[in-house]
Amino acid sequence: MKSIFAILFFISCLSCESQPKINIAAGKKMVKVNGGKFKTFYVSKTDKPLIVAPFLMDECAVTNAEFLEFVKANPAWSRSKVKRIFADSNYLKQWKSDFEIGESNKNIYNSPVVNVSWFAANAYCNWKNKRLPTLAEWEIAGNAPPENIPYTSVTDYIMKWYEKPSLPLLPNVKSTYCNTYGLYDMHGLIWEWTFDFNSFISTGDSRNTTNDNNNLFCAGASINVTNRDDYAAFLRYGFRGSLRGSYCISSLGFRCVKDLSSDKF
Amino acid sequence: MKTKKHIFVLLAFAAAFGLSCNNSNTSAADEKVTGEEIAELSYAPMVPKPITRNHPTHVIVNLNVVERVMKLADSTEYMFWTFGGAVPGQFIRVREGDEVEINLYNLPQNKLSHSIDLHAVSGPGGGAEASNVAPGHTSTFHFKALNPGLYVYHCATAPVPMHIANGMYGLIYVQPKEGLPKVDREYYLMQGEFYTKQGFGAKGLQEFDEQKGIDEQPTYVVFNGGVNANAGKNALPAKVGETVRLFVGNGGPNLVSSFHVIGEIFDKVYVEGGEMVNRNFGTTLIPSGGAAIVEMKIDIPGIYNIVDHSIFRTFNKGCLAQIKATGGRDTLIFRKN
Repeated sequence: MKSIFAILFFISCLSCESQPKINIAAGKKMVKVNGGKFKTFYVSKTDKPLIVAPFLMDECAVTNAEFLEFVKANPAWSRSKVKRIFADSNYLKQWKSDFEIGESNKNIYNSPVVNVSWFAANAYCNWKNKRLPTLAEWEIAGNAPPENIPYTSVTDYIMKWYEKPSLPLLPNVKSTYCNTYGLYDMHGLIWEWTFDFNSFISTGDSRNTTNDNNNLFCAGASINVTNRDDYAAFLRYGFRGSLRGSYCISSLGFRCVKDLSSDKF
Repeated sequence: MKTKKHIFVLLAFAAAFGLSCNNSNTSAADEKVTGEEIAELSYAPMVPKPITRNHPTHVIVNLNVVERVMKLADSTEYMFWTFGGAVPGQFIRVREGDEVEINLYNLPQNKLSHSIDLHAVSGPGGGAEASNVAPGHTSTFHFKALNPGLYVYHCATAPVPMHIANGMYGLIYVQPKEGLPKVDREYYLMQGEFYTKQGFGAKGLQEFDEQKGIDEQPTYVVFNGGVNANAGKNALPAKVGETVRLFVGNGGPNLVSSFHVIGEIFDKVYVEGGEMVNRNFGTTLIPSGGAAIVEMKIDIPGIYNIVDHSIFRTFNKGCLAQIKATGGRDTLIFRKN
């Protein structure tokens, strides 16, 4: 009995060796996120909250391995075929070639796919019969507290991510914390695209008190911000404000969502 | 004949006078812009050499945004957000009337979006809106340097106080078209505060403390981005008899500086970096987001401590730089018994 175990163990190790591409994202679940009322932190107190319906969300970000399947099935989204207006020149630059992540990059198979444009992320979600989360959906999902790590405040946790230099190699999905919805890595691994990432901001400067979206770029005058101490949120919204749909960035990936009504749950 | 000569002299005099009046009335906007050049930027404590051009030009300023861990004190590290990879950011020197092109490149490995607001810009936001840029990308905008003077620039992406508190500030000098009087040495000094969770001098990588920032209670107040950045073996060299000009900025984000050089008297200060000159005094106020140009002739050899005379900051929080003057001693001016 013991020796059988040993042999099995040995075999499993062997298979580890010969198959470095264990797919962490295989059997990836979607988890239910309760909707509710959502107010961005920068709106005025008189703004009406958005009503967000419950939805399903990928438990973790889309990996390089998963995205490779998409590109293979949709060659128009390969690195050499993609149109520049849909993805800038950094598109999938971490891969070896159009349809290969590459043996030398085997440690990123299960890392979140980054250097993908909004258009590419959106196309992937559609291919999966899913869609990108709205900003409100993402924020509701992301604001749930961690479940499996000690923490004092989500904001503190996020701020620590900014204080650490970027790692040379992006860690695997599910390598940070899991929140109370069962969602992994909502903060501290990558930024994530939202469907309407640029819907909240029209200008870049933020220190005005006028009634448009300028409040985001606070300095002294972020009068209308409901929670002006939430620096992590300021950084997140500020980052989204600098994006364009074709941008491919080495810390920006995505995950998909689905309407609850379209699925029995 | 005699009267003719008189009239001629009078006319010549009037013409000369009128001409010089015209000259000084030519606004920066009227001078013809010719040529193009890439601005030579410098890291503190150095200042780019004076501009000798007698006409405005198209100046290209290429600035990189770099998020990187550097020393805040001997055994203390901090994740700085910087213009050009250093705190303070690179010194920009242009001439009054120049058309300035700012190219802001946000390095791909950076995590955050950044921007630049130059106080030398006339236009809403000072360029902040036009320059907000994501990692791996470049933003470009143009402005005409209308008003001569010494100005602070800084990042204005949300949350602005945190971007500034992490080191995103520097100086731009718009040199008046007539230039400044020649001096022997020019240096670049910029004060700024850092807010860390642990106390002053704690070892290792420090975390930003938002609450201390809100309470305006910095852990560190320093010149040129770190404790002793320009003191001790890094003191600013000078020789006795030389006139030293300091381009001084205050990045803040909170504190107003009581700028003072112990053992020297400011011969001349361009108050707040503008046109007004004050002479013969000891301490000048530099607001957060403000600047001053101070000049002093060094008469006696030795170490001159440059401080914020809100003096706990110097004694307990690191706000010290030094000029080390070498050369002969004039015992009539100063001597010990």
